[in-house]
Amino acid sequence: MAVPAAFLAPVLLLCGLGPRLAAAHGPTGVECVLFNEEYMTCLWGSRETLTTNYSLYYWYENRSPVVECKRYLWDRGVSIGCHFNQSEIVQFQPFHVLLNASLNGQALEIRSKRMELQDLVKPGAPVNLTIRNMSSNQLQLTWSSPYPKAQCLEHAVKYKSNKDTSWIEHGVKGDIFSFPSVDYEKYYTFYVRSKINSYCGSTQLWSEWSVPVVWGRNTTSLAEEQLQWFWIHTVLVPIASCLLLLVLVVLLVRMERVWVILMPRIPNPSKNFDELFITHNGNFQEWAGVPKDMLESFKPNYSESICYVSELPSRESHDPQWDGSNRPPGGPGAPAGPREHSPYQNNYVGV
Amino acid sequence: MERMIIFCVLFFCSSMVLTATPQKAMKYKQLVKTIGQLEEVVKDKDVEFLHTPENPVDECLFTAVTCFQNGTLKLQPKNSQVNSKFIKTVNILKRPILKDSGKQCESTCESYEKKSPKEFLKSFSKLMKKVINQSYRKSTI
Repeated sequence: MAVPAAFLAPVLLLCGLGPRLAAAHGPTGVECVLFNEEYMTCLWGSRETLTTNYSLYYWYENRSPVVECKRYLWDRGVSIGCHFNQSEIVQFQPFHVLLNASLNGQALEIRSKRMELQDLVKPGAPVNLTIRNMSSNQLQLTWSSPYPKAQCLEHAVKYKSNKDTSWIEHGVKGDIFSFPSVDYEKYYTFYVRSKINSYCGSTQLWSEWSVPVVWGRNTTSLAEEQLQWFWIHTVLVPIASCLLLLVLVVLLVRMERVWVILMPRIPNPSKNFDELFITHNGNFQEWAGVPKDMLESFKPNYSESICYVSELPSRESHDPQWDGSNRPPGGPGAPAGPREHSPYQNNYVGV
Repeated sequence: MERMIIFCVLFFCSSMVLTATPQKAMKYKQLVKTIGQLEEVVKDKDVEFLHTPENPVDECLFTAVTCFQNGTLKLQPKNSQVNSKFIKTVNILKRPILKDSGKQCESTCESYEKKSPKEFLKSFSKLMKKVINQSYRKSTI
């Protein structure tokens, strides 16, 4: 009974300590990144995950002897990485890394996997972003890259207008991005980043986003403009028109000449006819000065008696045609009935 | 007059040389693309493994490329449907890629380890990418 117990105790102890050991001394692997092919950093952990100092040894397969890192990176007294110069970097050669540490007399060795450095290149972010305005609402964005081999790069452009909610990303092969239809009312922001293309390596590492470049009318300046317009429209214009109105009213009241131009008197020609209506009592002929004997000649010197005409209902269908000239005066064209004695000696009698 | 003609001819030739080098890069890029296409249609199981040069030195570049081209001829298509694409890509890879620089190479094709067709093609692609990368580096220096 005691033997199994004695056997169990160290096993339990190891089980208890094991995870803690692993957590404390666990560089999960070495991550190396080549920054713009100028230098490389290989990191294996941080101050929180490491409790001991590791030393790094590296070599290129079939090429170089095993060499220790010349420049370590420290974080509060613990080595967390190694810095490689450009002269220490060789691409297209398998790269191996070995981490060594001694803990409580025990040697810990962590061998990293085989690395291809050309697949770990992170180019520098593009610089000198410039926008050119081409004809017909087209914008052209150009940039340059600090990476020496520009033909090995592919780029991605991300942009957004002030009215959009999400970014739009486009892949670009060359150094130019053409933006087809730009709205001059909107305010655009552009970012660019680069990556080694598939012809020079097999990497998924994009560079950092570049410094942004902007285009268009900014809404803050627009607001100021609108404020200006507001002042003009709602304050200045009413005041000016009120003043004008006031000036006009004053002018009208004070200067009758202006009043007369604006409000002319309605002509009343009755003054000319005062004589006719008052002196001659409406007798036009008297006022006009027509001579008396002419007036006399207009008066008729004969008397006419009125001839009454009436219509008799005729029994026969045929009626004699009445001539217009034979029609007796004073009656409409109706067949004549028995007549009174008239000066015209009418012989027609209705049958 | 003669001097002017000679000068013009030299100028013309030099400009041709300048335009020629990017064309090589285009050719190599096309090859990388073609190898990628071949990787999709090649048979990877129950096939013969091929000698795969890994990171050859500069003197052995021509030998390695020739080794790859010879190995390509031993590849087989995945199934009968991809046959036409397979034949097209293999024919592109048969064409001469590099010129013999005449340098002495110590390793032969058989000295390299044998690997599966997919690994073989990946290494081929990696070698072409190295050539492209180095050609751009030369042009920037």
